[in-house]
Amino acid sequence: ENTKVFPLFTSLKDDDSGDHEQDQGSSKDSEKEKNEDEDKEQNSSKRKVKSRPFMYVYMVVPGAGEHPLQFNYSFWYSRRTPGRPASTQSYEQNIKQIGSFASVEQFWRFYSHMIRPGDLTGHSDFHLFKEGIKPMWEDDANKMGGKWIIRLRKGLASRCWENLILAILGEQFMVGEEICGAVVSVRFQEDIISIWNKTASDQGTTARIRDTLRRVLNLPPNTIMEYKTHTDSIKYRTAVLAALQQFHNS
Amino acid sequence: MRGCLSKVAMIVTLWIYVIFPLIRYLSRRPTVLQKPQKKGCPPVIVNGSAMFGGGTVMFKSIVQSPTTEVEQQHGPSRTPEEETKKPNLYMGDAVNLIIDKEPAMALLHEYRQLDAVSTMTKAHSVVGGENKWEMLESEQDGVPCQTGSEINIHQDMQPGKEKMQERSVDAAVDVDLQQALREQFKCLEIENSTQKSTCMKIQALSAPSESNTLWNIARLAEEHTKIKAMKLAATEEVEVWDEYVLPTDDKHGGATSSKWIVPSLLSNTSINLGLNGDSKKPSIWHFPAEPDLAEEVQCPLLRLPDVSYYPPIEPITQFEVIWRAWESLDEDVGAVEPIGGPFPSTKTTLDFTVMSYNILAQDLIELNQELYTHCPLEVLDWKYRCCLFLNELKKWSPDILCLQEVQQNHYYEELHPVLAQMGYTCIYKQRTGTKTDGCAICYKSRHFTEITVKLLEFFQPETELLNRHNVGIVLLLRPVATLASEAKACGPPLCVANTHLLFNPRRGDVKLAQLAIVIAEIDCLIKSCRAKREHCNVILCGDFNSVPNSPLYQLITVGELYYHGMQAWMVSGQKDFSHQTPCHRLFAPLWPSSLGITDHCQYTPVQEDQESPRSGKYQYSHDLMLKRRFYPAACVRPLDLPLIPGVTDHTADLSRKSLSHTESFRKALYHRLDLKSVYEHVLPGSGKPEVTTLNSDVGATVDYIFYSPKRTSGRKLKDGGECASNGLKLMGRLSLLSEEVLWSMNGLPNHVFPSDHLSLLAQFQMQLHPA
Repeated sequence: ENTKVFPLFTSLKDDDSGDHEQDQGSSKDSEKEKNEDEDKEQNSSKRKVKSRPFMYVYMVVPGAGEHPLQFNYSFWYSRRTPGRPASTQSYEQNIKQIGSFASVEQFWRFYSHMIRPGDLTGHSDFHLFKEGIKPMWEDDANKMGGKWIIRLRKGLASRCWENLILAILGEQFMVGEEICGAVVSVRFQEDIISIWNKTASDQGTTARIRDTLRRVLNLPPNTIMEYKTHTDSIKYRTAVLAALQQFHNS
Repeated sequence: MRGCLSKVAMIVTLWIYVIFPLIRYLSRRPTVLQKPQKKGCPPVIVNGSAMFGGGTVMFKSIVQSPTTEVEQQHGPSRTPEEETKKPNLYMGDAVNLIIDKEPAMALLHEYRQLDAVSTMTKAHSVVGGENKWEMLESEQDGVPCQTGSEINIHQDMQPGKEKMQERSVDAAVDVDLQQALREQFKCLEIENSTQKSTCMKIQALSAPSESNTLWNIARLAEEHTKIKAMKLAATEEVEVWDEYVLPTDDKHGGATSSKWIVPSLLSNTSINLGLNGDSKKPSIWHFPAEPDLAEEVQCPLLRLPDVSYYPPIEPITQFEVIWRAWESLDEDVGAVEPIGGPFPSTKTTLDFTVMSYNILAQDLIELNQELYTHCPLEVLDWKYRCCLFLNELKKWSPDILCLQEVQQNHYYEELHPVLAQMGYTCIYKQRTGTKTDGCAICYKSRHFTEITVKLLEFFQPETELLNRHNVGIVLLLRPVATLASEAKACGPPLCVANTHLLFNPRRGDVKLAQLAIVIAEIDCLIKSCRAKREHCNVILCGDFNSVPNSPLYQLITVGELYYHGMQAWMVSGQKDFSHQTPCHRLFAPLWPSSLGITDHCQYTPVQEDQESPRSGKYQYSHDLMLKRRFYPAACVRPLDLPLIPGVTDHTADLSRKSLSHTESFRKALYHRLDLKSVYEHVLPGSGKPEVTTLNSDVGATVDYIFYSPKRTSGRKLKDGGECASNGLKLMGRLSLLSEEVLWSMNGLPNHVFPSDHLSLLAQFQMQLHPA
């Protein structure tokens, strides 16, 4: 049965190929998401005191003869220290801005020197966000927003990630300035890609993002895609935090 | 007399002529059946009969071939007249007897032309003779005839009738089309001793009618028939024995020499001149006579050769296969006649035939005269070729006809009226630009109804790659099966596509892009069917200007082609330009995304709200983004990129390598149609390559009929669980010929085949929906 979990590549020949089993591990996946959220919540608890480690004071501009992008973007990288879930390092500390770019060519300069997500080790994330937007729920651009989440079997992340960011950079989503960024999260048994937008309540926008996502990732129609608002994520984190606090106090 | 006849075991040919005040040329093609016979028997028997004068006068005669055995058996019954007649008969008969050595396969062709200066003639040729009975006996005994390569030729002349028509000498005489449609054909049956299990039913393509006749033959025949008539005047039934050249395959170890005797065109010309006088009006084109001679068509005067001269008896020439054999590929069919008759339809299956034919536009002959220097002028004449073509078409009467190189004026003035009369609905698409020819798909209106018609123009001014004026047609048809005498639409839709891709052997990239458009259109129609939960079978045919197993062919049949870096001329394999530099190479992406076709040969999904005001100004497709990937500026490591081990220490070279999977994915073309070629591109037995086109420059297979094959196992189709009923079953095909054989006929076009391409013909069977 696991052979059918390969939705992206087997679908090349016939795009309405049969079911895949992304829904199968949903309980497990939600646990993972929970862990991830816990992770973030703990990290972010001490975030406020720290300043950003990488700050570029200049704006990048497209070079001569290059293909300018509609928006400037930045790559970020974050890594959770293995075996230390209760790390004192803040999420903000853990996340590193790799660089910003303003043209297609500049993008490739960065991208070509970055390890493919599928080859990353440990619990690592790549983030691609518009310049000026931090890959955090609390950022002004994100706080009213949400994200589409797609869980991928191991081995698919590199291709999907590349297709996704090329579509974002190439303005294929056609939702104006709604797109904030995207994240690929490398986990133990699966990889998760997500695309963040500004307005979670704009169902037209989120629907269009979902449909474009299906197309550019060449996803089978029955691929499970989950939308999660950042406020829900924050609420969830708060609840877990409170529970943990209670646990520690008792 | 009949008892005597029944013992004859040789080909016996009889010519019947009736002279009448009015001159008419009749040509007729007898049916020839070949069957193996018992060892030692003289190989061939041909018999036929004819009825004269409305059947009131009947006679019977026998002429024997000069074979010792026959002479021994039949000597007494022969008349001196018959003996003296033989050599002359050779003049009138053009007989090809071809033996393929390896499979000991013999095809016999009889090219007979009668110059019966008669009207009010009713000639019936009836199957008869000992040979038939022998066949029946052997079948009843259930003994497979495998003892040798003997050939038994059974001539079956279908009933023919020539209607008397009083015409002035210079009047044009028309020939009924309907009548010609059912013209006589030859049938050869071959059983090869070395291939016991293989029983291939072959229908030889009979030569087109030509009004070539021999005056002296006519005279002799007249004398002969008179004698015979006197002898047999009292007989009720007429049987006429025709004489043919006998193959002597046994004696020559299978290498049978055959005679190729062409009627003297000179004498023919003289007759024409004599009859028509100084008339400028067209002379007569006779299709074989058939009962209802209601309507007739005019064929202008054939341009007869000024210099062609065929001696009465030519030296014996070696020939291989001249005739195109019908290969039945379905064991169940047996001896069922594959062509003609009512639309064969049972409750569960539907049989239909498809022809693809590049008929060679006249303007292109003028443009490329150097390709046809080997041809006598008359075979390049359009009127002549048109008659040959219509003749061939009427002979096979395919249910679906896909034509290429149909010149616009010829289509509207000559072809379409005839095709419409034959019951075809036609769709024509002329090439864009200044080209005068185009493609056409014609289908029998009573067998199919039209769902969708798409006319494709490959010329796309905004795409540099698509700057050539080629076209295609894609149709979606629904078979109409007649059930209980009531036309009822049923059966799954059938997508029929016809195209003529760019010829230029160097521009394989253009060919691929043109093909992609056709496939995308087919894909689009299939999707529309799938939306209605219907499976759609596909037939893709045409002139692809690419040879078998070339990359383009591979893309069609395999569904995948990695083209990146390939030299453009390699795509079609028509010619070898490897010695030439510089080579134009293909680079991914082959065409811009603005074309709206993906590398899966599918239309890019229409994006809703394309003109959304919110859409970005700098919008780049996936392809464009990828294209910039390895630009020098894009490979330099950014100075401000922090070095994080395991994260940002990727090197550009390594990235190229690690991305090979992605790269190869993007540098290839795919499609999702499951297509198979009707032909296997190699002649069975000899293993020589088939050719579909031949001129001074090239002899190769470039025309194809591809179809969705029935896949009993393996690949599973998605829609519904009806895999078993999906797909087409190939029931038979008209065999192609080798280059060698075609050159032995003086290349293409010639007096038999009107184009520099051969027609492709296949019979399919499709499953119908249960009612």
